[in-house]
Amino acid sequence: MISVPWSIPALINGFWVSVIAEILIWSLFAASVNLLFGYVGLLSFGQALYFGFGMYGVAIGISDFGLSFWPAFGLGVAAAMAMALITGIFAVRLTWHYFAIITLVFSLIFYFLALTNKWLTGGDDGINFTLPPTFSLGGITGSLADHTFQYFFILATVSMCFWLMHRLICSPLGKALLAIRDNDVRASLIGLNVYLLRLVAFVMAGFLAGVAGALFALFGRYASATYMFYHVSGEAVVWAIVGGAGTLFGPIVGTTIFIVVREIVSSHWEHHSLIVGVVAILVVIFAPKGVVGLWNEWLTRLAERIDRASIKSELRTNP
Amino acid sequence: MSEPVLRTEQLTKRFGGLTAVDNLSFRLAGGRLHAIIGPNGAGKTTFFNLISGLLTSDGGRVFFHGREITGLKPHEISRLGIKRTLQIKSVFPRLSVVDNLWITSQAGRRFPHPFRDASRDRASREKVERTLEQIGMSSLAQRQAGTLSYGDVALLEIGMALISEPRLLLLDEPTCGMSPAETERAVEKICELARAIDIVIIEHDMEVVFAIADDITVMTQGAILASGNPEEIAADERVREAYLGGEEEEDYVEEAAHA
Amino acid sequence: MEKLLLLAMNGLIWGLIIALIALGLAIIFGLLDIINLAHGDFFMVGTVLTWATLQSTGSFWLAFIVAPLIGFILGALIHRTVIQPIHNVAALSIVATFGLSLILEEGVRITFGPTPRRILPPIQGTVALFGIDYELYRLFAAVVAIVALVGFFLFLHHTQLGTWMRAVRHDRDTAVAMGIPAQRVYMLTFAIGFALAALGGVVAAPITTVDFRGGVDILPFCFMAVIIGGLGNLPGTAAAAILLSFLEGVIQSVANPTVARISSLVLMSAVLLLRPQGLFKGLTR
Repeated sequence: MISVPWSIPALINGFWVSVIAEILIWSLFAASVNLLFGYVGLLSFGQALYFGFGMYGVAIGISDFGLSFWPAFGLGVAAAMAMALITGIFAVRLTWHYFAIITLVFSLIFYFLALTNKWLTGGDDGINFTLPPTFSLGGITGSLADHTFQYFFILATVSMCFWLMHRLICSPLGKALLAIRDNDVRASLIGLNVYLLRLVAFVMAGFLAGVAGALFALFGRYASATYMFYHVSGEAVVWAIVGGAGTLFGPIVGTTIFIVVREIVSSHWEHHSLIVGVVAILVVIFAPKGVVGLWNEWLTRLAERIDRASIKSELRTNP
Repeated sequence: MSEPVLRTEQLTKRFGGLTAVDNLSFRLAGGRLHAIIGPNGAGKTTFFNLISGLLTSDGGRVFFHGREITGLKPHEISRLGIKRTLQIKSVFPRLSVVDNLWITSQAGRRFPHPFRDASRDRASREKVERTLEQIGMSSLAQRQAGTLSYGDVALLEIGMALISEPRLLLLDEPTCGMSPAETERAVEKICELARAIDIVIIEHDMEVVFAIADDITVMTQGAILASGNPEEIAADERVREAYLGGEEEEDYVEEAAHA
Repeated sequence: MEKLLLLAMNGLIWGLIIALIALGLAIIFGLLDIINLAHGDFFMVGTVLTWATLQSTGSFWLAFIVAPLIGFILGALIHRTVIQPIHNVAALSIVATFGLSLILEEGVRITFGPTPRRILPPIQGTVALFGIDYELYRLFAAVVAIVALVGFFLFLHHTQLGTWMRAVRHDRDTAVAMGIPAQRVYMLTFAIGFALAALGGVVAAPITTVDFRGGVDILPFCFMAVIIGGLGNLPGTAAAAILLSFLEGVIQSVANPTVARISSLVLMSAVLLLRPQGLFKGLTR
């Protein structure tokens, strides 16, 4: 199952390869929402801000500072994390509604700043830039103009990020975050520094969003303020919840569903946002655990039934 | 005269016009199990909240083993060794029983490690298993804490208190909502704990109080009404009046005191 | 100087209209605990309904009845079908209202079309005021907004439903124990919230464009008013709306409108962080 993404370019045509590359990038973005909401209990409606910093870090780094591939990538990610730290220091002091609102507000502030500072950001129209055609990592040199190579790079990066998330969730820090999500008062009573831990998680989510933004810029060679608008953040929230909040693969599933639907629908009908809205509402009412959440639940129930059946048959043979 | 384990000096907390805790000066001597009783609204839980840092006081100071802890944040106070349970039993519902215990034992460490696999820590795992046995919940280890019965949740809370190696344990109505059998089990555990740890317990169940407490403090309307050993309290007129409402309750108290 | 006066007056009057819309958000946020991301779109629907009424009946004034009425009915329906089943799980309701916002925006785009339209003010002409020629309709709009605001507060304090709403807001459990039908109050609150926004849409339609994206700008503004005014503080919300809009108008005369917007947002962040109960605590009843 894990080998599937690696063999894809050999199997299907170029258009769908780039769609899958897009899905990978956006599911990383959805994963940043999921990290905060599913594992820490904080709903951020402003992750597009860190995506934007990752994106513009790369774009401005290359077109204004003349950086090459890796430095530009690093700049984007560093900028996103720095922003997450600065905004997080304030945002994490709030909870629930107010946290959601302030993350939204912070992202709006920078959206407007990006919009008006056209000299730097190109505003809504954005910046187009060209990438240095080759780069090297260790012994591997590759041409970024090659779509297949691009795809593998994105796949490798996104996979590594997901692997890091997996390690995080199994780690002591991950468990501490889950505890805070469940009951923050109890968490502070057992000695966990809730504020600090939430801040750390926030910066990590900023990292993920920043990587997604940097990848986006690197492979679209394009950056625009529209991607910092709260609709972008909101859609990622929907993808994360539909896929299954608090699950590792939820963001991937949710993003895949929506982007595939968008690709299929938009060739016939331009109003696919309507579908996004309807699905969001339906999922929230009927399946709040999301696809992967329901799947896990179904698996657990299946396991219990098997358990019970085997106990019953044991009792019968050993009266 | 040695420094008491816990000491408060004129601790005060007001909520708007209501004074919940009124110039309370309290001493807890070491090595004795102390019970705080009093009618509803007497300020007992508020008192605990002030000590554990969940509320900031409007006046007065709190000392733990001679060190002032007034105004510290809850997690800092917890790290000093003061642990408590809550009146409404609260654990981490979506974590398993094992994880609940495990995270409690880890929480005192400086900072949780971000990437190492949690299950690899042998020493912690063994500690968790031992605690599970102690509270008798080994069979429920993998269950989600949110699916436990109320009595089991209370027991889990006591387990969490145990595993956290407290220097002072504040138990807020630990047997509330428990069946008689569960109450017996809990009381047993508490007595065991009391041999090694200083405990202050808020309780409404008079039988439990008179059975296990070495010292009793009676609170009413935010202040201490009386303090002493069980016999003294049982005989105290003011306590009967304030708490128990008068003569009809006399026999009940007599019974409990001599049970 | 003239520009300053013009923008300041526009800001003031626009603030009165926003106060009306923001109150709708305030009661939804205050009573149902829902961050209604679709509230701007409720306003937008009001403007669209106004245009539709004008197109089909030729009368603008009819919209004053049609739009709020339809808004009310839609609000009640939405509450019944979408909000109630979620039982107020905070995070989920945000997502639901976001989905609702998408549906409303796209729905209007499909039926009404993507091009913005303008409505001519039903009252033409200007009046000499403080040395400038000021649009008569805007003055009329201000009067309507003030009447509506006063009417709303009267409703809140002198009718049974209004009292119920205040009781449930204050202490839900006691209210239920006293026999107040909480769910019905919630539904009516949501419906009234929609209706207020729609009414704001009617008043504002001739001085702004009718466009499926018309709500996008209004939403942050309403939230600013609610937060800065103080959650649960209805007069404070109204006051904050008027004040903020007035200030933005003043700032606009010397700087870019976006700068004005950014400074309001920064102010809102400061309030959230430092004084979450809002700036107008004293006005709370």
